[in-house]
Amino acid sequence: MALIVAEGLAKSYGRVIAVDGLDLTLNEGSITGLIGPNGAGKTTTIKMILGLLKPDRGYVRVFGQDPWDNTDMRSLIGVVYEKAFFPSHQKTLDYLRRVCRVFGVPESRALEVLELVNLQEASDRPIKALSAGMLQKFAIAHALVHKPRLVIADEMTANLDPQARSALLDLILQLHKDENVTFLLSSHILPELSRVCDSVAIINQGKVWAYGKLTELYAKYAVGIIRISTDKPEALASKIRKLNYIEKLDIDLRGISIRVIEGKEEKLYEDAPKLAKKIKAKILGIETGSASLEELYRLAVGANKGR
Amino acid sequence: MGKGKPFLEVFASALHEDYRFPILEIFAFLYALGTFVFASFGPAMSPQAVSSEAIAYTLTTSLLGLPLFIFIILIFKNVAYGLGNDLEKGIIQTYFSYPLKRRGILTAKLLSALGIALIIFLAIQISALYVLAPDIVSPYLGTVLLTYAASLSFPFLIAGIMLLVTLALRRGGLALVIGIVLYFAMGIISSIVMFISYATDSPLALKIISVISPNTVLAQYYSYGPFGSELWTPTFSEVLLYIGASYVIVAFLFFLGYLYFSRRLGL
Repeated sequence: MALIVAEGLAKSYGRVIAVDGLDLTLNEGSITGLIGPNGAGKTTTIKMILGLLKPDRGYVRVFGQDPWDNTDMRSLIGVVYEKAFFPSHQKTLDYLRRVCRVFGVPESRALEVLELVNLQEASDRPIKALSAGMLQKFAIAHALVHKPRLVIADEMTANLDPQARSALLDLILQLHKDENVTFLLSSHILPELSRVCDSVAIINQGKVWAYGKLTELYAKYAVGIIRISTDKPEALASKIRKLNYIEKLDIDLRGISIRVIEGKEEKLYEDAPKLAKKIKAKILGIETGSASLEELYRLAVGANKGR
Repeated sequence: MGKGKPFLEVFASALHEDYRFPILEIFAFLYALGTFVFASFGPAMSPQAVSSEAIAYTLTTSLLGLPLFIFIILIFKNVAYGLGNDLEKGIIQTYFSYPLKRRGILTAKLLSALGIALIIFLAIQISALYVLAPDIVSPYLGTVLLTYAASLSFPFLIAGIMLLVTLALRRGGLALVIGIVLYFAMGIISSIVMFISYATDSPLALKIISVISPNTVLAQYYSYGPFGSELWTPTFSEVLLYIGASYVIVAFLFFLGYLYFSRRLGL
């Protein structure tokens, strides 16, 4: 069942086109990552899905309904905004109890969700006294109070320390597994998304450039990727780049990612050790088809350039 | 689940923010101080106060001065700072994730910003009138309420304009400045209008200003206008008509605010 259907969605702010004919379908039970550079249109897309903005063109349906001023839909959705703000003079637990009453759930749920995000020690603090990371945790607790079927989060892990980020990702997986909660997660931190997402939508220039299950996208965009780990990545990369069957080459902390012309994978396996030997570099590992989400993102954007 | 509870919770939350300690305490103190300490009873003693009804009117206006000013500050703060701040910081966005219609959210905010401020103001004022002059106020409660209706119309008009500016800009600072400028400009405009009326010997300018500030027509009715009854003596029906017209304008401004908030406001 499709929980979110967007077709031909468009939104401009004056002359700036934020979203330009975006199509997206989000199925129940999925964890979908929304990735794209700054200004790609992710936040505007999320705001239209939540009924905070009206599209200029196209339409969006959430649970089969128009999200604009739709109160029925709100009980089914939990939202974590990029910048979370709450009435700042109220205490965390008191405010969550209020939210419980808003949604008609038992007030005991307020403490439960604070414990879920490990914020129970701040239950007596005014919201304005929370640190940025604690406020983010509070926003997550706030989004989960009414046990939503769909959680939409814009930069959910922003401001969180590594331990809290890891715990949050575990929580997402647990909620997905135990309660079949569907997630739409927008983030710049791609390794985190790759840990939890089963699908990604790559957004750029207001359009979806690639969308599907991660396995399908890897098959489509990351075929022919070879990763070489070496002690001299820069030097070896400069040699490999000169080979006439290299399509694309990137260097990152993990080593060198190389995309070759189809059918030339074996040739690189032969040539790379020879080149390494010439510059006295050690090859620590060489493997095929292990592109990271960052690489997938770069490949998908690269493949779609000039659209 | 009924729809009443989300409304009450958002309203309670708005109340908590608008009247957090010590705002309510300070304003209640200022109201009481203004009502009992700074009241001016000069006009009530004036020979112009010929009827008991006119005395009820002058007594009511004599208690209004400082408390009305405090009331205006409070509603301006609540509309521009309270609502503007919520829009600017994204608290309204948070409210939009609750199962409550947009108009319900705005009603909760306005009820806290204007309704509660009005209840506090009227409760202290009317109690004071009953304490000070029960014999005059009791038979003329209608006159007292009509005086308040005429006096409060202009502050509500400015509050309506501030609401529109706050919604359009999604912040309250400029709206607050516009509200304060309009309020003081009205004092200057009233003087100019009276001068024009005097110079032209025509009540037209007074009638025009009475549409947005019906206090003028009420003062003329009780012969407390700047020219007594020489220039213009409106009938009671005319007084009601001007007060009604002023509230139609106020209602129209708030209607525009609701329309924009419910159908157009993008966050």
